[in-house]
Amino acid sequence: MAVYVDIGRCIGCRSCEVACERVHGGRGHVHVHFVGDFASVPIFCHHCEEASCAAACFSGALHKEGDRTAFDVEKCTGCGLCNLACPFGVVWTEKIAHKCDLCEGRPEPTCVTTCPANALSTDLDLLSCRARSREARAIAMGGRR
Amino acid sequence: MIRVDPRLCIGCLSCSNVCPRQNIIRTQTEEERRIRWKRCREECDLCVELCPAGALTLVPIDESAPEPEVSFPLVGCRICGRSYATEPMLLRVEAALPKSQSPEWVRICPTCRRTAEAERATGDMVAARRRRG
Repeated sequence: MAVYVDIGRCIGCRSCEVACERVHGGRGHVHVHFVGDFASVPIFCHHCEEASCAAACFSGALHKEGDRTAFDVEKCTGCGLCNLACPFGVVWTEKIAHKCDLCEGRPEPTCVTTCPANALSTDLDLLSCRARSREARAIAMGGRR
Repeated sequence: MIRVDPRLCIGCLSCSNVCPRQNIIRTQTEEERRIRWKRCREECDLCVELCPAGALTLVPIDESAPEPEVSFPLVGCRICGRSYATEPMLLRVEAALPKSQSPEWVRICPTCRRTAEAERATGDMVAARRRRG
């Protein structure tokens, strides 16, 4: 499981950042990036299948737990290797590492339940379904060329 | 006190993070990271145990020995130039990742990686919109 983003819907309000910080004691794991005037893109942990952060972690603090990349704070020494290994720059280290835990213990990640634009979801099918209907609508309207 | 093998140390600061007495002093500038182990009298070997490189050993205190110190030049990001890691740390990460991934991103700082990911996602969205007309 991961949080999927439909950036066509993101309005750049940064509510996800705030919600994440509130749940994680002031240290958030989402960053909304603005690309010119085009788009705002929340950058998340992908919970990669072959997680580079877990491969680089020597103490076993970062590890795969089902389809989640989990983090055991007790084992972390703050070496920062995970931070250097993550291809997306979404594992942070400030003395110890911190990253998205998909809001463990909550039914849904708080960024997903907070997003006012419904741009975030843990359901990939929902996003691909929306993408397909957008394409279908474009074909039905004849496109603009 | 602690003995350091400077050939093994990667400059990651694990030891300094875990030391309960703050006996391992880090100083960092834009160009360089310096780590100094104070002549500690503790029997504690937490830093030895938690060193990812196995570079530390607990040895009996020797008042005449100088306090061990290592320094590392910091490597700059290939995109923005800002220094972000030591070379041995980057080599270690590259060695830990499967070759098939060709981990070029390791030479780019985490901030620029996030920016690159945002630009890639935007590019995909713009392309999809163009396709739809």
